[in-house]
Amino acid sequence: MKGDMYIARSSEEEIAKEAECGGAVTSLLKFALESKRVDAVVGVKARDGNRYDGVPVLITDPKEIAETGGSLHCASPNIARFLKEYLDGASSMKIAVVAKPCDAKAIIELAKRNQINLDNLIIIGLNCTGTLPPAKAKTMLKEEFKVEPFDVVSEDIEDNELIIRLKDGSEKKKGLAELEEKGYGRRENCRRCETNIPVMADVACGKWGTTDKDSTFIEVCSEKGSQFIEAAIEAGYINTEQPSDAAIETRKKKDEAAIELAKQWQEKDFATLEEMSNDERFNYWFEQFSHCIKCYGCRDACPICYCTDCILEADRGFVPPGEIPPHMMFPLVRITHVMDSCVNCGQCQDACAMELPLSRLIFLLSKKIGAIFKYEPGMDATELPPLRTVTDQELTVDGVEVTF
Amino acid sequence: MSIEYAPTICPYCSCGCGINLVVKDGKIIGQEPWKEHPINEGANCPKGKNAYHFIYSEDRLKMPLVRKNGQLKEASWDEALGLVASKLKEATPESFGFIASCRNSNEDAYVMQKFTRVVMGTNNIEYCGRLCHSPAAAALIPAMGSGAMQTSQPEIELADCFFLAGVNLQETFPMIARRVLRAKARGAKVIYTDPRKTATARHLADIHLPLRSGTDAALINAMMRIILDEGLEDKEFIASRTAGFKELKGFLSKVDLKQAAEITGVPVEKIREAAITYAKAERACILYDQGMSQHYVGTDNVRNHANLALLCGHAGKPGSGINSMRGQINGEGSGDMGCLCVFYPGFKRVGEESAKFFEEAWGVSNLPTKPGLTYIDMLYKCPYLYIVGGDPMMVIPDVNNLKKALEQANFIVVQDIFPTEISKLAHVVLPAATWVEREATHTWIDRRVQKINKIVGPPGEAKPDWQIICQLAERMGYKDKFNFSSSGEIFEEIRSCVPQYKGITYERLSKTVGGIHWPCPSEDHPGTPSLFLEKFNTPDGLGHFQAVEYKPPAEVPDEEYPYFLTTGRSIFHYHTGVMTRRTPKLSDEVRHGFVEVNPEDATKAGVKDKDMVTLRTRRGSIEAEARVTDEVPPGLLFVPFHFPNSCANVLTISVLDPSAKCAETKVCAVRMEVKA
Repeated sequence: MKGDMYIARSSEEEIAKEAECGGAVTSLLKFALESKRVDAVVGVKARDGNRYDGVPVLITDPKEIAETGGSLHCASPNIARFLKEYLDGASSMKIAVVAKPCDAKAIIELAKRNQINLDNLIIIGLNCTGTLPPAKAKTMLKEEFKVEPFDVVSEDIEDNELIIRLKDGSEKKKGLAELEEKGYGRRENCRRCETNIPVMADVACGKWGTTDKDSTFIEVCSEKGSQFIEAAIEAGYINTEQPSDAAIETRKKKDEAAIELAKQWQEKDFATLEEMSNDERFNYWFEQFSHCIKCYGCRDACPICYCTDCILEADRGFVPPGEIPPHMMFPLVRITHVMDSCVNCGQCQDACAMELPLSRLIFLLSKKIGAIFKYEPGMDATELPPLRTVTDQELTVDGVEVTF
Repeated sequence: MSIEYAPTICPYCSCGCGINLVVKDGKIIGQEPWKEHPINEGANCPKGKNAYHFIYSEDRLKMPLVRKNGQLKEASWDEALGLVASKLKEATPESFGFIASCRNSNEDAYVMQKFTRVVMGTNNIEYCGRLCHSPAAAALIPAMGSGAMQTSQPEIELADCFFLAGVNLQETFPMIARRVLRAKARGAKVIYTDPRKTATARHLADIHLPLRSGTDAALINAMMRIILDEGLEDKEFIASRTAGFKELKGFLSKVDLKQAAEITGVPVEKIREAAITYAKAERACILYDQGMSQHYVGTDNVRNHANLALLCGHAGKPGSGINSMRGQINGEGSGDMGCLCVFYPGFKRVGEESAKFFEEAWGVSNLPTKPGLTYIDMLYKCPYLYIVGGDPMMVIPDVNNLKKALEQANFIVVQDIFPTEISKLAHVVLPAATWVEREATHTWIDRRVQKINKIVGPPGEAKPDWQIICQLAERMGYKDKFNFSSSGEIFEEIRSCVPQYKGITYERLSKTVGGIHWPCPSEDHPGTPSLFLEKFNTPDGLGHFQAVEYKPPAEVPDEEYPYFLTTGRSIFHYHTGVMTRRTPKLSDEVRHGFVEVNPEDATKAGVKDKDMVTLRTRRGSIEAEARVTDEVPPGLLFVPFHFPNSCANVLTISVLDPSAKCAETKVCAVRMEVKA
């Protein structure tokens, strides 16, 4: 049932050895396909074995699942968009999808907007404490770690350190704080992210709470997840045991520590904006948006944006076409359309040709709106976004003012 | 169902940004960021974001076309190539001209120049690099030893001062503007010369010098004079790495700053501010483009900016130098491959020695030893023309006059992906595969060689350019010299005779995201991101000053033609517009040609925003929609050159740079009339 917790390991020795953390996730995916609970699996694989080039893949042959094994810390493909845009929102196909917390949240937000059919999905959530931008990560490995990026066989983020393991079996580590101070380390949105365990998925899998590197801690997060895990155990795909109280406590502590760090980053990042006077803020953002070249990168990457006939398109007559920077309504409308539902996935900022701090702004607004409306995006498919449900009356209540 | 993210490189400008194309059951259905790529890290400009749509445009050329009774009719490859072969056999070496493209791959370009030299026996082989960056080679080979970009794109970020010389960076190279912004965030200063108040002027530049079009040389002379007066020249650099300073200094002593201000229209104080900012920088980077080179004094302009760089020691360091910004996917590569009438592959200058070298390399005899005709000359003088991937009827100055000449040609072959203005005059039109419909390498702006894989098949019977040329060569009796069964085989031959590419292999490229910079002399060499770190590539290893006297534009306004006209680009379109006009999201942004008019001039001329106006020069007239904007100063009109219905080059003047043979498409005198 929801809330159940397991320490799990693949029952296939080969998978348990080859895949990370005892191969429980690999075996769950295999089970999903072989039991015909799903038609396909969506995961992320290192293209041509290159761990800096993670791409989403659609797999129907259980033999190919192994390709998606192992965490790729330097990959952040847009999984929700992959489902919505290229797989018809799982409308005609049952899919087990492997998702980081922000992927799972985005999937849920899209489901609210009828863009993804949650009934056809099993969301296998993976714990995440952040991903690194791959191009910059390679520079970081050369400059800071003094290693060849392709000598790295795995990365890990543990206790505020980035740990890399090399081909020759050796390990190197550096403090995240130090790296991030220099502009390396995790993506900016990841630093601020408080959701490390994807409890909005059907199951949340991770290494926290395990004592060795050979097993996975699984938390069951939905009834669908519960049935799925129980069936997988029943069918003999994974071996499980109950986590000890100490293990559960350790997991909780690690999560809390990561959340604390995220809050510090939020404070730091938001403070620079919030300390500004209204005039200063206005000038700051207008200056930022004056660099916009209207590539629509942010809109297209945003997993929440879904209108097929977007008001911002050149042929809609809302924003004057053919100008850069575009009229200020372009960024403003774009932001207001998503600011109640931002899942802090950072895809907009990754795609921004001019590196505008979009995710910082939109996440800040989302936090403010969330506090007013007691709403957290991406957590519950039955809760609709506030800007869709807000009444005129509510908007006139004192204190309902969002400024940026 | 199969669905795959296929990595490739954007087909547009010369940055070489990575993209993922989403391929579903053999068709491209979308595009996603490729975050690992070092050039763009997952971001793209508007064109890069809409990279593939044109390939599915309905009017792609799918079958060869042969003119019969005045009409182009579909024909078989056999018939079309048979006709081309028989006609080309009629041509003498002097009467044949081949025009390759900045859109070709290296392999295509290599085969084209080889065909021209081996089969047709002439050096009449050119590509559109002649029309934009030929002044780079003409000026920078004597000054520093190479016309190629001197720094790499990532290293641009190291600079603490940028001199954007006539390049509207924000619109034409947004992904390089991003690097300038990064440097600015660390305190770098940006100097920008452009008569127009573009987005670059408004939002990227710290010091905008809105000089009169074509007065660059006067401006730079004034800057250098100020730098010397202030004692800000880099004495150590001048002493150890340059020659000819004394002559330059003598020349500059005669420069009158007041006069320079009058010529350029830029106040002395503003020139001084720019000069001091540039000279005092630790590491300044000149980025320049057509704004400087498309003048009959283009070579002089480049020379003078090179003088400035040498004077201040801003060369021979990563992130510095004077950098020609080639605007197309193979702007560098087609030149590297020898599609120039004065260079065999690898910039081996045409002559006895180079001919002998390639006679041995190719196993042929009697290769031409005399320079061929340059691009524009060829169009007027060669009755047999083979034109690939370009549209002279859009980009050559004085198009009306050109049309008259081309209508007299004996035989014109056009090989392209779409019907174009020039294909309307062709006798045979051959359909080519584009971009991701074949495997090939290109060489991007910073000598960066990257490989593009075949992702989908070409439509109908279209074929890769190199294959068409090889099949033609076979029909003309040269099968053994063009016996290539893949682009990889061509690349191997390139490596064997182009030393800059020797160490680059398909295998290395497939493993190296972001590619390899030439020169790359051996397979274990990492490539060369920055040039001239130890010495310049000149015979004596020194940088050479070449003093430049200012010369006014060939045609200046008078009573009859009272405005200056300048031409350029929009961020949403690409060159002759063949690809972007067929991309709905880009075409929706800017649907047709326009002319920018200053509000003062508009009032005087009785022109309102969105009025259709007639622009007339001594050469011809076009109609365009007026955009009343203070982006242009009073007295200057601006027309983009992307639109056949408002073809800017009907208006421009066919005056050529004497050494580079680049045309003065950036300035002439024009009249504006409200359309009755």
